Amino acid sequence: MATRILHRRSRTREVLTRLSAYLAILVALILTLFPIYWIAANSFKFDIDIFAVPPEWLPRNPTLKHYEEAFIHRPFLRYALNSFLVAVGTTVVSVVFGTMAGYALARFNYPWQWRKQISFWILSTRMMPPIVSIIPLYLFFNYFQMLNTKSALVIAYTAFNLPFATWMMKSYFQDLPVELEEAAVVDGDTRWGAFRHVALPLARPGLAATAIFCLIISWNEFLLSLIITLTEQSQTLPIGIAGRVTQYNTYWGEISAAGFMACVPIVIFAFIVQKHLVRGLSLGAVKG
Amino acid sequence: MLKSASDGTSSTQSRPGGGLEQWAERHLRYLMLAPTVLILLALTIFPSLYMFYAAVHKISPNPDLPWEFVGAGNFARLLSDAQFHVALRNTIVFTVVAVTIEFLLGLGLALLLDKFIRRLTFLKTVLMVPMMLPPIAVAITWKLIYEPQFGVLNEIMYRLGLPLQAWAGDVNLAMFSIIVADVWQWTPFIFLLMLAGLASLPVEPYEAAALDGASSWRQFWDLTIPFLKPVIAIALLLRVMDALRLFDLVFILTGGGPADRTKVLSLYIYQVAYRFADPGYAAAISLFVLFVTIVLSTWFMKRMRLAD
Repeated sequence: MATRILHRRSRTREVLTRLSAYLAILVALILTLFPIYWIAANSFKFDIDIFAVPPEWLPRNPTLKHYEEAFIHRPFLRYALNSFLVAVGTTVVSVVFGTMAGYALARFNYPWQWRKQISFWILSTRMMPPIVSIIPLYLFFNYFQMLNTKSALVIAYTAFNLPFATWMMKSYFQDLPVELEEAAVVDGDTRWGAFRHVALPLARPGLAATAIFCLIISWNEFLLSLIITLTEQSQTLPIGIAGRVTQYNTYWGEISAAGFMACVPIVIFAFIVQKHLVRGLSLGAVKG
Repeated sequence: MLKSASDGTSSTQSRPGGGLEQWAERHLRYLMLAPTVLILLALTIFPSLYMFYAAVHKISPNPDLPWEFVGAGNFARLLSDAQFHVALRNTIVFTVVAVTIEFLLGLGLALLLDKFIRRLTFLKTVLMVPMMLPPIAVAITWKLIYEPQFGVLNEIMYRLGLPLQAWAGDVNLAMFSIIVADVWQWTPFIFLLMLAGLASLPVEPYEAAALDGASSWRQFWDLTIPFLKPVIAIALLLRVMDALRLFDLVFILTGGGPADRTKVLSLYIYQVAYRFADPGYAAAISLFVLFVTIVLSTWFMKRMRLAD
């Protein structure tokens, strides 16, 4: 009898624990999703409905007016294209060179403990807060007349993405068994050939994860672009959005539409690559 | 080609330029590393040296005027600059509070999901979305939520019978508003790292502990936390480094106001350099920030043995 009561009580407790856990996760989901829903909802409302008190939880009169405004009458498409080109350029440069450097640091020996010193130095460049390098970069680009160019942005972003890519790829290669490459060399391939034909194909998931992160970081970057670009022809999407928050007026509908559009590719992208994302980041970060 | 004994049957055989190729193969360890090292040297050493040079000068906004050497003058100014002290304090408060909350929430959420719904990768990805969004879009979203007149947060306050607030515009709540938005965006990052850490825990020690009758609380403190320590260390290091450079949220949500309550170091450097047109002094503050960041993170990495 006693054991049965005890048993029943612990079962009730287990059910209660389970329920409160689900409830906590549900709350976390709502808190995560609501702000995204809210900016999306407001981007489809007429101005007058954005200012409605109490707020309209669902857009009563959905409209694409703000999207038309942002993407047809204002140059947001240009901004988005700039963001895209700069992000892709930065990613290509960072992943290509970062992969080679990561492989070298994972596989080769260097005299005088260079390997450790260089690895640490590369990581330490990532610690530099962007605001620190902005003044010299600005003067540098000014000197070479590169202000307001996309190449300047690619160069500046590479400074932040290359160390990251190198470290991600280094830890990824360290995880791959070296024997396969050794076998390839024994079979007559060169070291470079072993890298190209054996290590690189095996590292594809790591490459994907690294590329994804470089793309996201560059697509989202704000501060460097704010300083380096001033013209519509060169500015990126985050700057275009921020530009519509002025001292006198905030164009809520328009910036909601543009802000939501800046999120959409990232979210779609995240779901397509979710497997690489979790694996890649956990590998890169957990293994340091 | 002729001399290359190691070139076997692979595709490299058909390529021309054997001598060069062989040279490249012999120096491969340097050649593969060289582009990254050269790019980073150019992009970090040059700016750093330039910063030192700028930091000891008074730079006029007029580009035709020469720079005036002031020695340690810009650094001495730091000691008596009240605005700098405010910015430093705000940065420390923000970093400590935001990272602590993010850590506790992220770890808690990871433990919950790991224990109760392990297989739903889709759900995990949904919870990670905020950290991938452009910070500027996040800032604007929260600006809309905090808006005092028609913002949704005040509507909720009203429904709950609580007093309405100006949120980002209120002297006492502005920093809190920034922290909430930052927590919303970056808790998922801690969550993701903790989840990855939990997924790699070994099973055996837990079985042994369960046999010994250890409570789940004991197992958490004696097994989970020690196992997770390296992941926790990295997560905290990355978050602290990012928190120290907070800019976008403040720039859009408060502009550093009201009454300088959210003026953080990055924003102050930006204002000094571009609004007050004093790049020499801005360089001095930047060097201070750089110095603190490097000392902090090097110390931390050595301590946690992360650099091996």
